[in-house]
Amino acid sequence: MNYENLYSSLSLIQPEITISVFLLLIVVADLIFDKNKALIPFLALAGLIIASVQVILQVTNTGYAFPFSDVYLSRKGMVTVDAFGAFFKLIIIISSFILVYFSYVSDEIKKSEKNLGEYYALIFGMILGMFFLSSASDLILIYVALELLSLSSYVLAGFSKLRTRNSEASLKYLIYGATSSGLMLFGISIFYGLSGTTNLYEINTFLASHQINHLTLSFASILIFAGIGYKISSVPFHFWTPDVYEGAPISITAYLSVASKAAGFALLVRFIKSAFVTSDDSLGYWEILSVFDWHSLLILVSILTMTLGNLTALWQNNIKRMLAYSSIAHAGYMLLGVAVLSNQGLVAVLIYFFFYLFMNLGAFFIVMLIANKTGSEEIDDYNGLGYTSPFLGVALTLFMVALIGLPPTAGFIGKLYLFIALVDAQMITVAIIALLNTVIALYYYIRVLKHMFLTKSTVETQTVSVIRPNIIFIIFMLAPVLIFGVYFGPVVDFAKRCVQILGL
Amino acid sequence: MSLYDIIFYLFALLVLVSAFITVTSKNIVHSAFSLMFTLFGVAGIYVLLGADFLGVVQLLVYVGGILILMIFGVMMTNEITNVDIKTGTTQVVPAIIGVGLFAGALTSMMLRTGWNSQPSENMDTTTYAIGKLLLTEYVLIFELLGMLLLVALIGAASVARKEKE
Repeated sequence: MNYENLYSSLSLIQPEITISVFLLLIVVADLIFDKNKALIPFLALAGLIIASVQVILQVTNTGYAFPFSDVYLSRKGMVTVDAFGAFFKLIIIISSFILVYFSYVSDEIKKSEKNLGEYYALIFGMILGMFFLSSASDLILIYVALELLSLSSYVLAGFSKLRTRNSEASLKYLIYGATSSGLMLFGISIFYGLSGTTNLYEINTFLASHQINHLTLSFASILIFAGIGYKISSVPFHFWTPDVYEGAPISITAYLSVASKAAGFALLVRFIKSAFVTSDDSLGYWEILSVFDWHSLLILVSILTMTLGNLTALWQNNIKRMLAYSSIAHAGYMLLGVAVLSNQGLVAVLIYFFFYLFMNLGAFFIVMLIANKTGSEEIDDYNGLGYTSPFLGVALTLFMVALIGLPPTAGFIGKLYLFIALVDAQMITVAIIALLNTVIALYYYIRVLKHMFLTKSTVETQTVSVIRPNIIFIIFMLAPVLIFGVYFGPVVDFAKRCVQILGL
Repeated sequence: MSLYDIIFYLFALLVLVSAFITVTSKNIVHSAFSLMFTLFGVAGIYVLLGADFLGVVQLLVYVGGILILMIFGVMMTNEITNVDIKTGTTQVVPAIIGVGLFAGALTSMMLRTGWNSQPSENMDTTTYAIGKLLLTEYVLIFELLGMLLLVALIGAASVARKEKE
């Protein structure tokens, strides 16, 4: 690699460099300001703002960073910077902004304020890992970034140690994580053994031009899917989700349910598209190599994921557990969009994810405000809350309606594009199953509303008063959910712009 | 069977037997010591495959560092040698079926696949080549591993701290 290459590569990974620099700054600031940690969240915000500007510039400024030297002909690099990656990085950045405010308000985090430096340093570690996952096109980089993300999130899941559930969550996350990343590493080693390269584009060329044992390749692909499936919590790698979501601090739970899933989806799509797809046809369907049947695998996994997520959510009495299963179900819907294996399906996934970000984080935020006051996350304790705290009640109702996918919220638009993509791809049966799932989901979301509004408030029902900054924040979260439900053109246009994955 | 094969099978046997003792032994000191032989055997296989650097690192880091640390930890913790570790097995039948299927798939895969292999040239030391690659083509991975270690350090400190009310 010559220096010219290095400079152009470095200019392509600016957001990642910013995040790394601010990670170090936070560590140093934590040491210097030993007594007063109030500065650290603002330092984190500054880092996020700079990184977000750089990410937005990446939508148009694309290219390959860190190419291999001339031994290889393709000259495509380890990191692929493109609009698709930028979209997911944007989702990660937005949820990080929200996370900073979440942590600022959360009682759980306030109790361990002394360790705020560690907290933000680990979050920046997560962001760095997720950024590289969204644009990695080399199996080694994928693995290292995945470990960076996982290591930080194991610790964060057990960050506040005031309840034993926290440590339990952390340990469970670690054990499941270690197993699935071991499986993934094994899959990577088989890929390397078959093709002699770790670069996704070279694997693609190799698969297209050589005769390969399909059994081995399928085995390796499934193993790699195990690592990704763990991140997006798809069946059968979802077992950690409810326990970790229930035990972790709410801010981290919310973050895991959006940002870490976003990174997982970005990785899944890029992995399939870069390593297995030869070209797009005129309608935007991907011409996939016939070496492994991704279509069937994804459909099977997504149907299992959404059905299991929805059916289990019915029985949950803890609202964090319920939201955990609901997030499993949502991952199922989005996997269906990937399973279409076309640009149209991908647009649907991007739109869905963008809306899911706001509605899921909004719901978690209100659950956190209520838990701050009442100290409870049981749905039974929500009885009559709609009367004593009407603003929170109405806001939570709107977020739930969006999660169900009813008009006029953005959730409906997300589901609509998904179903259109399914129907256009002639996957009618699958679309019907997904539709039935939405009906099941209606029940458990409405159940929360029933507790809030149809059960009379008793003397014990507490009034959760909301201070003004929180009201503004909730309105800020509600606005996209409601506005994009009616005026969704810009999001769709932006998503259509961002489906371009470099490398074909 | 050449001498090479015999040495390989000896190391493989060492790894398997000591790994088996590691997971079944009820005494934590015995487990730790047999884990040392497992790691040592793996290092031997690395060297046998011509990955001399990897073999040395395996010895230095795992056998020399992590394991000694673990044994010291065991020795310095009171009473830990007296604690019976739960090594009983539950769900034997599903486990056997699962592992059997997995092992069967793996074996048939290993035998049938035409791996992408290259004829071994004169074995040279790998340290120079690895060092060069790490600072040129894989410089990004190298730097990222630095961040990974930093995050692991912070994480370890965070896990180890005690929460004061």
